[in-house]
Amino acid sequence: MSNSPLELKNVTRRFKDMVALDNLNLEVGSGELVALLGPSGCGKTTALRIVAGLDRADEGQVLLKDRDINHVPAHKRNMGMVFQAYSLFPNMTAAENVAFGLQMRKVSKNKRRDKANELLELVGLPSHAHRFTHQLSGGQQQRVALARALAIEPEVLLLDEPLSALDAKVRTNLREEIRRLQLSLGTTTIFVTHDQEEAMAVSDRVAVMNKGKIEQIASPDVLYNAPATDFVAGFVGSMNRIHATKTGANLFLIGRTVGAAKNGPEVEGSVTALIRHESVRVTADAKSDIVILNRSFLGPVSRITCQLLNGELIHSMMPSAESANLRAGDRVKVELLDKELLFQKA
Amino acid sequence: MVFSKLKSLPLFLTLLIAGLFVLLPLGSSAEFSLRQPTKQNHGFDNYVWFISQPEFGHYMGVSFSLAAVSALILLVLLVPTVVWLNLKGQKLRPFVDFITLMPLVIPVVALAIGAQNSLPEFAQTNQFILSFLYAVLAMPYAYRTLDTGLKAIPLQTISEAARGLGANWFRTIVRVITPIIRGTVLSALFMTLALSFGEYTITSLLHWDTFTTWVTVISQANVMGAIALSVFSLVAIFIFLLLVGLFIKPAASQVAKEEE
Repeated sequence: MSNSPLELKNVTRRFKDMVALDNLNLEVGSGELVALLGPSGCGKTTALRIVAGLDRADEGQVLLKDRDINHVPAHKRNMGMVFQAYSLFPNMTAAENVAFGLQMRKVSKNKRRDKANELLELVGLPSHAHRFTHQLSGGQQQRVALARALAIEPEVLLLDEPLSALDAKVRTNLREEIRRLQLSLGTTTIFVTHDQEEAMAVSDRVAVMNKGKIEQIASPDVLYNAPATDFVAGFVGSMNRIHATKTGANLFLIGRTVGAAKNGPEVEGSVTALIRHESVRVTADAKSDIVILNRSFLGPVSRITCQLLNGELIHSMMPSAESANLRAGDRVKVELLDKELLFQKA
Repeated sequence: MVFSKLKSLPLFLTLLIAGLFVLLPLGSSAEFSLRQPTKQNHGFDNYVWFISQPEFGHYMGVSFSLAAVSALILLVLLVPTVVWLNLKGQKLRPFVDFITLMPLVIPVVALAIGAQNSLPEFAQTNQFILSFLYAVLAMPYAYRTLDTGLKAIPLQTISEAARGLGANWFRTIVRVITPIIRGTVLSALFMTLALSFGEYTITSLLHWDTFTTWVTVISQANVMGAIALSVFSLVAIFIFLLLVGLFIKPAASQVAKEEE
């Protein structure tokens, strides 16, 4: 007996020769927001569609409160879904769209109207009830879609890249709003995205997917600081991969010992050290062999690309104020802020 | 300005030629039907003549019922089929395209004779069998109209959204998809009604009497009256469809414009 309202057990889905989901296991706790993060084709949307009932697992179970719903049709699952593409019904007003799910549940007209107004107010569109789809901006349409999905008081709210089609500013605002609503309503939620920043910003836990499997599921902090696999390390955040030599617990790189090996395989000798961009600090040093190739100003931070003596490139992400005097061609010394480093076999 | 006028000239000429091609015969028929040879002027004598015929109302009713039933059959069959084809049946599309072209390839005479020989007796004695045959004739046009309409909307997302909100397939098609493609459905309806109402060959070969066969019969007695009748039926269908368009809930965009 599981405490999770939603559980995927050994779910496999194949499309001809391609395995979209490979024995996938996932538990989502009550009121929890879990993000499925991964590159295109990793199976995250397939997993969501299987939960929604829009696709069916070839093997395995989809358990909703310990009941296998794999064969329950989509319209009987009570899952609220928000799609990437705007999915509002263009022949209905915003309020009619929100009330549609309630209409299908034979809720009386007055209650439908009240609930639709309440939800439109909740998503910040109280005055847009009588507007049609084409009179709403992309962000407003997704808010209405969110209100529509929440109106049916879903068992699980499923968000399939709901912010992908929006511009950057609207995306940031709306993702914060989604999180605020999710927390206030306590709705169990799965959020599919390929944007790591988005996933980290809104989730209780993030499941990083690759080739139909979950590589790691953990809180954003743990995922960032202690990636379980090379793939997670490479996918979440920006990582330098620098040649190093491991002797015992020490790693030698950039010509000197810099710290202890944090985790990884029991190997000696040649390895690759994984170093976050923001862990690298560069300062001017005329005697150094390390040269700045490029400095990109990104607002509060700047990215500085340096070339090591052996030709390898190392990237640093530093506060712009600290790197204001650095220019391409300057000689610099490199310091690593982390004393414990991740590494992998070379 | 001059340049834009020059650019639109070919479009204008094309529309003019196409318009004349359609409207000239209609205008000529209308003019001819209004002639009153005995009085050497124009008037409504021919119209008064056919309206006063006792069979007029009866055959109008028969033809209209048959056309309405054939439109209903076609829409009930085609809307779910085309929705399914667009969502899940892409592999079957070439086959369905081929099947829906058949009524254009097979001569109507062959269809009529085939129906006559293959249908069970109870079907041969029921005039509404004509509705099924009219539906077959209208299928190539209605199918392509609906298909084009459905391709213009994000059908997959919309149907999945509707199902996710608790609508089964029937409700998804009736409550969501059909209203969204209302214009397309009306076009298909118009074509089926018009084609069914004017169908002559099958009706005649199967020895049934409808408005068109009656027009042929009375044209032998009064050719100008028969032309007047044809013009009248054309205008009547046009007005009917105009009313259908007005009475059905205005399109979303129209309502939105009114609100603005």
